[in-house]
Amino acid sequence: MTLQGILVFAFNNSQIDYISQAINLATRAKKFLNLPVSIVTDSSIDSDVFEHIIHYKPSFTTGKRYYDGALSNKNLNFRNDARTHAYDLTPYSETLILDTDFVIADSVLSYCFEQSHDFLAYKNATDLSGHRNYGEFQYVSDTGVDFYWATVVFFRKTLLNKTFFDLLNHVKENWTHYKQVYRIEGSTYRNDHAFSIAIHIINGFQKGDFAKSVPGNLLYTTDKDILHSIEDNDFVFMLEKQRRKGEYTVVKTANQSIHVMNKFSLDRALKNE
Amino acid sequence: MNKNFVMLAQNSSHDYVEQASVCAMSIHLHVPDAKISLITNDPVPDCYAQLFDNVVDIPWGDLAEKHEWKIHNRWKILHAMPYDNALVLDTDMLILEDISHWFKFLSKYDLFYTTNVKTYRNDIITGDFYRKNFVKHQLPNLYAGIHYVNKTPFTYQFNSLLDKIIQNWNEFAGYIQKNPSIDVAAGLTAKLLDCESQITNSQSLIPSFTHVKPNIQGWASLNESWQKQIGSYFTDDLELWIGNYKQSGVFHYTEKDFLNDEIIKKYKTKIGI
Repeated sequence: MTLQGILVFAFNNSQIDYISQAINLATRAKKFLNLPVSIVTDSSIDSDVFEHIIHYKPSFTTGKRYYDGALSNKNLNFRNDARTHAYDLTPYSETLILDTDFVIADSVLSYCFEQSHDFLAYKNATDLSGHRNYGEFQYVSDTGVDFYWATVVFFRKTLLNKTFFDLLNHVKENWTHYKQVYRIEGSTYRNDHAFSIAIHIINGFQKGDFAKSVPGNLLYTTDKDILHSIEDNDFVFMLEKQRRKGEYTVVKTANQSIHVMNKFSLDRALKNE
Repeated sequence: MNKNFVMLAQNSSHDYVEQASVCAMSIHLHVPDAKISLITNDPVPDCYAQLFDNVVDIPWGDLAEKHEWKIHNRWKILHAMPYDNALVLDTDMLILEDISHWFKFLSKYDLFYTTNVKTYRNDIITGDFYRKNFVKHQLPNLYAGIHYVNKTPFTYQFNSLLDKIIQNWNEFAGYIQKNPSIDVAAGLTAKLLDCESQITNSQSLIPSFTHVKPNIQGWASLNESWQKQIGSYFTDDLELWIGNYKQSGVFHYTEKDFLNDEIIKKYKTKIGI
């Protein structure tokens, strides 16, 4: 019997409430996608919105600079090593992994479960601002391999996908090596980079078709932008202006799922929703 | 199906005969039953001569005698080659996989030039850094590095005009650029004869090659040499890696010092000469 569902990973730090974000995601997933959600966490959860609560103790903690708009940032702990274990942790035979800061407002992702490819990830994404050109989201480094987003990943339990996740764990466990070989700058381990490297390797160290695109378009705002408010399916953003640091343009979206990287503002908007 | 290859080599301060010989080794390793001819007036060492079915003199004197950049005899290939049809290669090419299927496609044409070339990441090159004059003068985007010739009246007509343009560069093409270029000459010939659709296809990846000139690789910075920006490695089995990418198809290395003694030795060892 095919079990379909969403898997999210939520590990709070001193400032960011990933659990609340996950609860919001699960509520919206039920509304728009009619799918159960399971959570991987090290926290105790006081909510019945999740089908399964899977306890996981992170094996390492890294530091990450979190921006709250263009003018404010903090260095906080970041615990993101569990995602590579998704194959073993998921209770579903067909799993959609979502970041907790992916805010669902449409049903596009339901098509993941209707199409025939066993592994999906976004390679391309659209910055809502329209003026920024992030090379880091095209390749993992200037001379490196194609960048894939770990924000939204769909997989079925197949032998090839088991191999992929084994490979992904190998990349993560030997990150110092792979980071150098793939010329990745910065000290923070990123799942996007580990997924990108593993996809490149499983494609035979060439461009390949192991990872097909997730249906639809991945829309994102960066942590230099601010999510002002959420009202049902309407989101209001303040987007960083081009060449005017600290100034913003107000943009409203409706009925459009979006990856909100400014987690401070996402937390605030969810509390005020 | 004949699989004939032709190269023209004229040594200057560099040993193009050796380049052609290594290219011939790469053909023999990957293309079964290939026939290869070298057109040259330079001595071919015995160990390399065995790689060629024919070594043919450049006819009618050396029109490039006074020039370091020796393209003035290129038009003679059609007359000098001992085949009815052939794939003409620049000498600084390496064949990395079997391209036998190209010949079936190309046999339908009198003449066919490469239009689509690729980066080391296998992305189609769209940048015009080295092709400003093609854009400015609306010339067909032709690459003579690999082209197919069939001895037909049309090909002789094209070749005759190509010859006139090269030999009378200032009159024909001086307004485009000062120094003669075989690619510009081919593009101008195609434009004057209004035959672009007869001799290339903008949708086709046959033929194609990896064109590793540095400023069309999608890198953030401009560079004089691709080898200074990214590492390369040949395995003992002659698999070529550029950065994190295993190469396939045809590799046009463009920088003469890429073909070092170690690579030549690996080819010689592999082919047993």
